[in-house]
Amino acid sequence: MSDPDYVVQTVALSKRYGRKLALDRLDLQIPRGRIHAIVGANGAGKSTLFRVLLGFLPPSAGTAHILGRDSQRLTPADRGRIGFVNEEHTLPGWVRVDAVVRMQRRLYPRWNEGAFAEVIGHYHVLPEQRVGQLSRGERAGLNLALALAQSPELLVLDEPTLGLDVVAKRAFLESLMYSSAAERCTVIYCSHQMEEIERVADNLIILERGQLKNMSTPEDFCARVTHWVADVPFKGPEPAAVPGLLQVQRLDGLYHYLVLDQDETFAEFLRSCGARSMQSMPVGLDRAVNGFLAKNHAAPAAA
Amino acid sequence: MIQIATGDSRPIGKQIVDAVRMKIATGELESGDQLPSVRGLAQQLTVNPNTVAKAYAELTAEGWLEARQGLGLYVAPPRQRLSDAERARRLDEAIGRFLNEVVALGYPHDAVQARLLHAFRALVPRKTA
Repeated sequence: MSDPDYVVQTVALSKRYGRKLALDRLDLQIPRGRIHAIVGANGAGKSTLFRVLLGFLPPSAGTAHILGRDSQRLTPADRGRIGFVNEEHTLPGWVRVDAVVRMQRRLYPRWNEGAFAEVIGHYHVLPEQRVGQLSRGERAGLNLALALAQSPELLVLDEPTLGLDVVAKRAFLESLMYSSAAERCTVIYCSHQMEEIERVADNLIILERGQLKNMSTPEDFCARVTHWVADVPFKGPEPAAVPGLLQVQRLDGLYHYLVLDQDETFAEFLRSCGARSMQSMPVGLDRAVNGFLAKNHAAPAAA
Repeated sequence: MIQIATGDSRPIGKQIVDAVRMKIATGELESGDQLPSVRGLAQQLTVNPNTVAKAYAELTAEGWLEARQGLGLYVAPPRQRLSDAERARRLDEAIGRFLNEVVALGYPHDAVQARLLHAFRALVPRKTA
């Protein structure tokens, strides 16, 4: 079953590579409209999720629907409703830009020449150039222009701005946020760049080891994380006893705790551990997400 | 010009709200001045238009801005925008935050007060003049 209000719906979706579980009974529902950012450490399952959703990979268990269709049974018409840009911006290097455009125009019945021109106009791409002669930023722009000209209902972007310089990145984000074609579609976008996500995302989805860990606005996620500094003489509490602990550091004799979902009662906890003074402060998105992901990040077993 | 910074502990929407309030408080934006469009400000700052729309909605709900049908948003005429109790509560809250930060710096009280007074004078030349 699938609900038309969601562009993506997975139920207990798992994908196993040998002994490794890339998606672990993932239940994810992404509502239609707006820009959704997916973040997660490397190996959290983002790319696997995209591959399953786009029908490139079969799930090991569970179901995945995209635009209301079973992702394993997408027809060419369904695919026409989905734009996809991946980090490598893969197109054969020998092909000329105008030839790619001609091909796409023929393939997609809802091809929108105006949308293509609006996006590609940000880049110095000439029709007679071969894809292999374009810079990384130009290829990213070309791919985004091609995807948006499809007039997709859903645009999926896998780390689209990786390796772009500041100018190319800005042009890319502008097309994503302000072009008329992008306004009409739902965007799902994965990235590691928090300063970009802060600007772009309406909704922040955090995946960790193939499971959903957060789905909220970026501000609401930030508000879940607080940074406490406490002056605890002698030894602080055992890390395992600290509620909601994401990270602890001892700097210049003060304990710095990054904690999740703790309110003012955390001060009482610190006091009960012998803290003489303490204060809390809000953190930015970058710190909040990094702290969150660092908690369970793989590390060699302690010596 | 409103400016925002990513990486700040204040979300971008909050930074926009603060910046507009500050500009109204200092008289840089006056009653009747028009604000940039949602899309225009979003593009100028390279942020999601929804973020700007939410910030504008908050400012409008608080009475700082008013919408004129089909024309956009304008700075509302000055009036007391919050109830007395809410004003007092916010003032207490702001003072609490300020004290927390400042006490740790270890300045004598009168030095802090003098600096504060100086900052206020620089901030609202029109209102105290």
